[in-house]
Amino acid sequence: MGTLLQQIANGIVLGATIGLIALGYTMVYGIIQLINFAHGEVFMVGAFGGLAIYRWVLPESWQEQWYIALPLMLLGGVLVAVVIAVLMERFAYRPLRNAPRLAPLITALGVSVALQEAIRLWFPDADAAQPFPRVFIDKQIDLGPIEISASGLLLIVVSIVLSILLQAYVSQSRMGRAMRATSQDRDTARLMGVNPDRVIVLTFVLGAALAGVAGVLYGSYITNVDNSIGFQNGIFAFTAAVLGGIGSLRGAVIGAFIIGLIKTLGGQYLPGGTQYDYVWIFVVLILVLVFRPQGLFGDVERVRA
Amino acid sequence: MTKLTGFLPPALARPFAALGGVLFLIGAMLPWATFLLNDGPYPDKATLQFFDAPLELTGYRWNLLLFGVFALIATFAPTPAKARVLRAFGWGGLVISAITAIFIVGKGGGLGAITSADGNVAFGSIVGIIGGIVLILGAGAMPLDDVPHWSTKVFGLDGWAGRLAAWAVLLVAFAAMLYLVSLTLTAGGIGGAAFPYAGPIFLAFLGFAGGLLGALHGLGITGWIARLSELHRAFSIVVLLLCALALPFTDAGSQYWMQVAATIGVYAATAIGLNIVVGLAGLLDLGYVAFLGIGAFVAANLSGAVASTVGWNLPFPLAALISAAVAGIFGAIVGSPTLRVRGDYLAIVTLAFGEIFYRTAQNDIGNLTGGASAIPGIPPISMFGTAFNESVTLLGTELPIGVLYYFLIVLVVAAVMAVFANLKNSRIGRAWIAIREDEDAARAMGIATGRAKILAFLVGATLAGLAGAIFVHKLGTASYDSFKFLESVTLLAAVILGGMGTIPGAVLGASLLFVLPEKLREFEDYRLLVFGLALIFIMRFRPQGLVPDRVRRAEFAGETAEGKSIEEIQEQAVLEQEAELEREHEAPATAKETGR
Repeated sequence: MGTLLQQIANGIVLGATIGLIALGYTMVYGIIQLINFAHGEVFMVGAFGGLAIYRWVLPESWQEQWYIALPLMLLGGVLVAVVIAVLMERFAYRPLRNAPRLAPLITALGVSVALQEAIRLWFPDADAAQPFPRVFIDKQIDLGPIEISASGLLLIVVSIVLSILLQAYVSQSRMGRAMRATSQDRDTARLMGVNPDRVIVLTFVLGAALAGVAGVLYGSYITNVDNSIGFQNGIFAFTAAVLGGIGSLRGAVIGAFIIGLIKTLGGQYLPGGTQYDYVWIFVVLILVLVFRPQGLFGDVERVRA
Repeated sequence: MTKLTGFLPPALARPFAALGGVLFLIGAMLPWATFLLNDGPYPDKATLQFFDAPLELTGYRWNLLLFGVFALIATFAPTPAKARVLRAFGWGGLVISAITAIFIVGKGGGLGAITSADGNVAFGSIVGIIGGIVLILGAGAMPLDDVPHWSTKVFGLDGWAGRLAAWAVLLVAFAAMLYLVSLTLTAGGIGGAAFPYAGPIFLAFLGFAGGLLGALHGLGITGWIARLSELHRAFSIVVLLLCALALPFTDAGSQYWMQVAATIGVYAATAIGLNIVVGLAGLLDLGYVAFLGIGAFVAANLSGAVASTVGWNLPFPLAALISAAVAGIFGAIVGSPTLRVRGDYLAIVTLAFGEIFYRTAQNDIGNLTGGASAIPGIPPISMFGTAFNESVTLLGTELPIGVLYYFLIVLVVAAVMAVFANLKNSRIGRAWIAIREDEDAARAMGIATGRAKILAFLVGATLAGLAGAIFVHKLGTASYDSFKFLESVTLLAAVILGGMGTIPGAVLGASLLFVLPEKLREFEDYRLLVFGLALIFIMRFRPQGLVPDRVRRAEFAGETAEGKSIEEIQEQAVLEQEAELEREHEAPATAKETGR
């Protein structure tokens, strides 16, 4: 029983991470129908941005004080992630906006490979896994049968709060309305005075900021990062976004928690153990795409597939 | 390139072009580096000496000198499509000079290496670069004439004389091509620590070869050869095959280059298979390398390797057929979601299948893949009493080890090409292209789209499985690590770089992507970064690839491609259409088909 609860807790932490990434996937797909394959790398770059702040910006006396170190690292991670996302939107995707659909997907693959390699080559020592500072990890919180690290708990709280804020922003604010309008019909939105280019950039920025936050918090949760965390978690997040119904914010978050639970529980209880936990996620991905491409909460009309 | 057109007044076109040619000549004569490179003198004399090896055809100085002479001739002699020819020479010379300059700067530690330092001056590369720019500007100010259309009636001869003349021309052309391939393959020698100059020499030579081919294209010669070989199809195929088999008899006939060539062949065969799925049917497959892997693991288990679980020892042809068949079955399984899923969603499904294969192979599913310890000790192919890892003597020449694999691969690639070409022009091939262009319209026209799509996956996977069987014997080990996601991306990059839906494209793309790492060992670390960036840039600037398909509206060569290249493609399409009509034995129905 203890194991089950512990694995559920682990799954929820993983789901919180994936959820923050999946929101970016689902927003970008909702607006320009692009599977932004490189979004996972934005998350990875965010983690390395936070690491860079800790290593080279923070004076030693601040490194130990999480209430100073963590916000600054988050800021750094978000900043790097946003800059990368804006650059890739501007120089890789925007020129292809009217190209055949598979062209931007291949470009996204290229961006993904290039970002992974750029980090491996040029971030000092990043050709091997890098220890992530334990600014928040040392406290383990005991909740009866299960134990959860403080950074895991923080990840869950931040993820839920940010998702709610994002939902509110998209449904309440003026820019949020512009986003929804652009997603429904870009040309009509333009006629109504919406600048689609600005909306698209904003979408990338919001998605990247969430991914950056997720990157830094995930780094301090698993305590080491390498350049492949983006690809793996990016695939998980994409699966979550599809499972929840691509384009739906609520769906992405719920899908993410389901995927997190499938990975941890599948690794515990399904044959093959943790060696096959990835396989189950890919199986879920295929099954959802084939049998319910609109996902759990998706809008049937929106799905082209 | 198009932006440079009309930049100069036409009156200045000829003087500029001539100046560019002269600058090439001067640049070739000047010293290129102010120092002796750390690892000895830069090949082909970066210092004050002139030619050490005047007949070394791959030397950049010699290449630049030739381009200078050619450019001057083309400027003053009556040349058809002068602007195109001069532009090709200009870009070629620019690439040669720039690559060499970058390398000397990198090795020599700063711009002093190509200007002046310690009392030495070396302006050769800068003069060459300026010459290239001036030549391109001059060519840009000339009217852009059409590529001349040469008659396929060679020298105006008819009947048997004409046929023999055409055969002679093709023979010369293919022999020249064989020579160029051999030179390109060996240009700069083997890369890596043994010879650090391999990369720049090779790249500079690619610039030369590219410039030369561009000029020949401008003169209408490549198009002419293409149309001639189309007309004399059987003859061309035989000669081309003989040329490929003759490669071991050229300079490239060493054990090392035969191994490289055989590896390229394996990937070329795989890329052609992928080209059926992506190029013809327009189904993006991101997990294609899994089929190569399935073929490899099946063949490994049937090879009699001690470490394999099944451990049967079947004769290679049978094992290869079984590998291909098993891979084909998996191809049909992976392809079955195409019945419900389309476009980018399908790409993700194939990626998921590829990852599932990778993970299960990594975990040694059913003890079939060896997991992390791989399946080592796979014996070489043995047929007709000869093991394929021995050297053979043929026509009085002792051929190096590995040459038998090369021969086998050439035959397999030829067979795969034949499959591709015949499928492309068949009913099912036309169905695939129709699906690629518009699936709903294809279905409305009565094409059983589901069956056609699964068949595309099946055929593509079968070819990959066959290639995998050879791959694993050649390598001697079957490891899951050879079949990771990035290999799929590399294969995809090969197909896209070469040009979707064309055979020469897939072969060219695979050759480039697998030769370059050999030559650029020094920069091996940057291989994947360059792949990633290459994918971005190809999609941005030349989505139709190096050898574009003549059907313009290919999935990737959309309306957003630069105006220039679309013109070129259209032009090519028109020419080829004419060639099609010229064919006497052409059935009218087919002519209509290709002319759409």
